[in-house]
Amino acid sequence: MTAEALKFSGVSSGYKHRKVLDNVSFTVREGEFVSLIGPNGCGKSTLLKTAASLLKPLGGKVELFGRDVRHIRSSERASLLGVVPQKIDSPMAFTVSEIVMNGRIGSTGIRWAFTPSDLDIVERAMIYTDVASLRDRYFSELSGGEQQRVALAMVLAQEPGMIMLDESISHLDINHRQEVLQILLNLNREKGITVVLVSHDLTLSASISDRFLLMDAGSIVKAGTPQEVLEPTLLSRVYNCDLRVRQDPFTGFLQVSGALDTLRGRRRLGRAVHVIAGGGSGVELYRRLLIEGFEVTTGVLNHLDSDAEAARALHVPAVHEQPFSPVSEANIEKTAAMVDACDCVVVSRVPFGSGNLINLRLAESAIDKGKKVFLSSGIAERDYTEGKAANSLVKGLLERGAVEWDAIQDLMLLLHGNNE
Amino acid sequence: MDNRAVCADNRFTGRSRSKERVRLLLFLGAVPLVLGISLMLGPAGAGFPDITTEAGKAIVMLRTGRLFMGLITGAALAASGVVFQALLRNPLAEPYVLGVSGGAGLGATISILAGSGLFVTLGLPLVAFVSAIITLTAVYLIASQGSGGQPSVYSLILSGVIVSSICSSIIMFLVSTAGIEGLHSVIWWMLGSLQPVSGGQQFLSAILVVVSLGGIWLISPRLNALSLGREMAHYQGLNADLLIVSGLLLGTILAATAVSLSGMIGFVGLIVPHVMRAMFGPDHRKLVPLASIGGGTFLVFCDAIARSVIAPIEIPVGVITAIAGGPFFLIILQRRMKQAWIS
Repeated sequence: MTAEALKFSGVSSGYKHRKVLDNVSFTVREGEFVSLIGPNGCGKSTLLKTAASLLKPLGGKVELFGRDVRHIRSSERASLLGVVPQKIDSPMAFTVSEIVMNGRIGSTGIRWAFTPSDLDIVERAMIYTDVASLRDRYFSELSGGEQQRVALAMVLAQEPGMIMLDESISHLDINHRQEVLQILLNLNREKGITVVLVSHDLTLSASISDRFLLMDAGSIVKAGTPQEVLEPTLLSRVYNCDLRVRQDPFTGFLQVSGALDTLRGRRRLGRAVHVIAGGGSGVELYRRLLIEGFEVTTGVLNHLDSDAEAARALHVPAVHEQPFSPVSEANIEKTAAMVDACDCVVVSRVPFGSGNLINLRLAESAIDKGKKVFLSSGIAERDYTEGKAANSLVKGLLERGAVEWDAIQDLMLLLHGNNE
Repeated sequence: MDNRAVCADNRFTGRSRSKERVRLLLFLGAVPLVLGISLMLGPAGAGFPDITTEAGKAIVMLRTGRLFMGLITGAALAASGVVFQALLRNPLAEPYVLGVSGGAGLGATISILAGSGLFVTLGLPLVAFVSAIITLTAVYLIASQGSGGQPSVYSLILSGVIVSSICSSIIMFLVSTAGIEGLHSVIWWMLGSLQPVSGGQQFLSAILVVVSLGGIWLISPRLNALSLGREMAHYQGLNADLLIVSGLLLGTILAATAVSLSGMIGFVGLIVPHVMRAMFGPDHRKLVPLASIGGGTFLVFCDAIARSVIAPIEIPVGVITAIAGGPFFLIILQRRMKQAWIS
């Protein structure tokens, strides 16, 4: 078994008022090519900053090549770990060779000048990444792909044992992305440099990585081979959308495809959903239901409610009532007509009080007429009615066949199931 | 011939090393020339005075004294401008913007108005320096509070500008309430002048400036790396926070020394670094020594003009630095800014 290049043992990390990583443990072995994946904001960048000791861990231990990062001098750390950020830029007009030269700065110590061997290393890094011909060009005037290659050359000039890339290639076009990845692969295969690639392109990562680390909400939820990690139900849960994984018939690599092409098959369902919402609980529901091709109505809503605003903006037919007044007979009738016209009713995470309890009664009438009703779970915490009237109403609804839902993703599956 | 290919070739705007070498030679050749011309200008008339006479000797002594003052002050101002611009990654940064000069000026004003003549000569540089450091610390702390620990460039510049204007308001207040005698010396000092100070102060200032310049030159390769940002500098194995703090300190020593020597001379700290960067590129290993030489020479020349244009009346040198330097700077800005900052 090869040695460990990077090891997190129970690491918690984050910022002053916000803990991002919670008790994270994993290892990356020397010479591995690992992809770190996970939804936006799950803590990938924080993990990377913690590994590079830009953020000090709040708890636990981070080891680079078997040594506690807290005890590695900063100049020495640069020779163990190189980080390629999403984008580098300098406000000053440095040329490419001047930028790449910065990679040697950590090794100079208190020496002022670069030695001939420093210059050789810089030259090698530039040749390797194919930027030597750009040496006198201004860095800022290069294309995105060239800039990213220069950044890579600069990091290579550190001669690190491991390179971490923070979504450094996701904004490149396919040609430049292939180019940078090819260089990374060569580095990994020929020089044995460990690579950790933070990536959003699961398909691309699947074709080049030895292993995947899947993060969600500040923890590693799964580590393993692409086959082990790229598992549709796991991915769908973590990314909170419908994902499919299949094998490319020619290369055998796994391919992950997102909600959009599943959507295509489901467009214009012609199914009508009435949403009972309020207090901003409906916005995401309207959005998702509309995207997935449902016809949406909603009400009764308080005229000033943010859901009412969202419904107006999204052209969702809605019934409005003046704030602080009981729902009028006319509005109840209008909403009842909407409920009559729909195929099923969805109740959002709206809190219930005496004012909007009428909405639950309308849901009850839908059940009476044999329509499906989907209730968001945990009604008891949102019940502000006298004598917990909403809670008992809901209990009755559940007994009569209403279905509880938890995550929107689950609701969508339920709704589509209902459709079929 | 394919026209598009020609256009593409013309778009190549990288740096040409041979042209840069020619510019460097021209610059280094011009420096002694300009210094020589400056020695020949003065209220006593143009030309090198006859040093066989007592009067001639005195004039030469006076002019070399001012040349020395100009070199030290100009180098200090320009180099501190380079450092502040590098640390803040911002072309607007200079000692005045960060409140350093304002703080030094306030300290000096108080010391001039409060002290006797003896106190002024000995205490001025010290008071100026201490108040500059206090001001910078205040600016740094305010900026750090605002952005949660690490001061951002914007909060540093904003709080610097505000602290700076508070300082100048206090100076104005002190000036308006001062007696006629104090008023005269403060105003004259605020306008800036290269009138030689005492030998002891000159010696001390020269040592401070030379040592600080050396320090900045030592960290100059690191300033290059810092231009990619604090985070990237950290990844490349630098202690970015230590680098920023020591850079700020060195820049402050330089600015405070310059202010205590010659008063509030504006513009040199802002434009000389820009002109030098436009001519020779932003590599701080070259930029720090070149800007020091350039700043010193520029100020010496401006002073020579200031004392001789409408002699025997002497124009404050700060007026000349702005009037002569401003248009020159604008031309450079228009023609060569691409070589200095990305536009």
